Amino acid sequence: MKRFFLPLLLLLFLVLEGVAPEILPRDLINGKLYIIPHWVLVFSIMITIFYDLDHTFYAVLYGVIFGFIIDVVYTDVLGVYMFFYGVVNYFIHGLKLVLHSNLFIALLLVALGVTLADVGLYVTYNFIGIADVTWQDYAMSRLIPTVVANLLFLIVIYPLFKGKLEQWSELQLNKKKIV
Amino acid sequence: MPFFRRKRLFVILIGIIVLVAFIGFSSRDRQELSTAEQFLNDSVGWLQSVVYKPVKYTTDIFANIEDIKNTYEENRLLKDRLEQYKNLLVDVQKLKEDNQELRSVLNKTEALTDYQSIQASVIAQSPERWFEQVTINKGMQDGVQPNMAVITGEGMIGKVNSTSKFTSTVQLLSGFDRLNRISVTVYGQEGDEKGQPGLISGFDKEKETLILEGIQDTSIEVGDSVVSSGLGGIFPENLVIGTVEEVSPGQYGLTQTAYVTSAADLYDVDHVIVVKRLSEQPEEDLEVDEEGEQ
Repeated sequence: MKRFFLPLLLLLFLVLEGVAPEILPRDLINGKLYIIPHWVLVFSIMITIFYDLDHTFYAVLYGVIFGFIIDVVYTDVLGVYMFFYGVVNYFIHGLKLVLHSNLFIALLLVALGVTLADVGLYVTYNFIGIADVTWQDYAMSRLIPTVVANLLFLIVIYPLFKGKLEQWSELQLNKKKIV
Repeated sequence: MPFFRRKRLFVILIGIIVLVAFIGFSSRDRQELSTAEQFLNDSVGWLQSVVYKPVKYTTDIFANIEDIKNTYEENRLLKDRLEQYKNLLVDVQKLKEDNQELRSVLNKTEALTDYQSIQASVIAQSPERWFEQVTINKGMQDGVQPNMAVITGEGMIGKVNSTSKFTSTVQLLSGFDRLNRISVTVYGQEGDEKGQPGLISGFDKEKETLILEGIQDTSIEVGDSVVSSGLGGIFPENLVIGTVEEVSPGQYGLTQTAYVTSAADLYDVDHVIVVKRLSEQPEEDLEVDEEGEQ
């Protein structure tokens, strides 16, 4: 039963992203700054750091699956979120092996992951002709607010899920190894 | 270890190929979504409609508190307006009767203004801001089809982009580009001049206004109202789009370009009406409703 907690939580975050424009401050959105909630990505990076073992890649799998759902539900173009969420989680998984896991490393990795994913999305959408703003405009009005907002989100969910994730990791992944 | 490295490269290459294939698949001009996409849209849409209501309710409470502050001012203004509306109402009633009479004389029962409306509620907004989309809770089952106009009480907000069985996505006006232009008429403030034809050809992201092109005459002024003309073949006539915000000479100096702010608040939509045009469409053989004269 506990095995389904992670996908369910990710699904919840995915649905909440859809109401995010309601929750986030309106002035920021109607003004020049845009916040893109990458909550699914932030949570899957937390899964990478605290749940996945060195040889398991659950977060990459979740990144690919939920990235695809985001592609279908929220955008017109398929495969973009899927690719970047997967790749970013894989990359973070590689970095995690070198670093210890605490709040500051988590902040650093999430900042890095969100930046990579969002820049990747911008470059791809720009290439297809959907995002037609200049690089400077993008960085100032989208990238920086997005990274900051997602870090705030991490600070909120970090205390809620860190312990839980480690606990579930112990229960689900280590047990399998013994069996 | 070298084997693992090679495998990793292999997987990433396959990933890139899948990415390109998916982009190619989805960016061609598709009329319908595949079954898998429809299924995902509907099931996530169901969850969204569950979550959206309470969230909207709480955010509305805060918005209401803000509103109460301005109530007195607004109330006074509205009372003034109400007086004017009474006169207007009589005028409109008379014009309507006239119109109907003249139409019956001409034996012309179909008009571009006729439409059938489908009520819907917004259940999600796309978080990815490159796509100006919202999701609504009516789909093919309720008769929603791609390219139908979507309006609120204040004016037009966009058009239906794609439909699933029970949900559809709406492209907001702020996401319009050269591929989905709207044929419009511009009416002056005086009310007695003839309308000028024009074309909404996109959205200016920096000014946050719609771009109105192809105006021949120079008489367009700031404050003129812009409504759809129904000549584009997709939207019905007379949907309010917005007011002219700024006028500047066009690219070659022959025509004028105007910037139009949309009448409806695109970022605070809650309940919308999907508009099904009843008048026959020139190229496409979408089914025409039998009772085209209501």
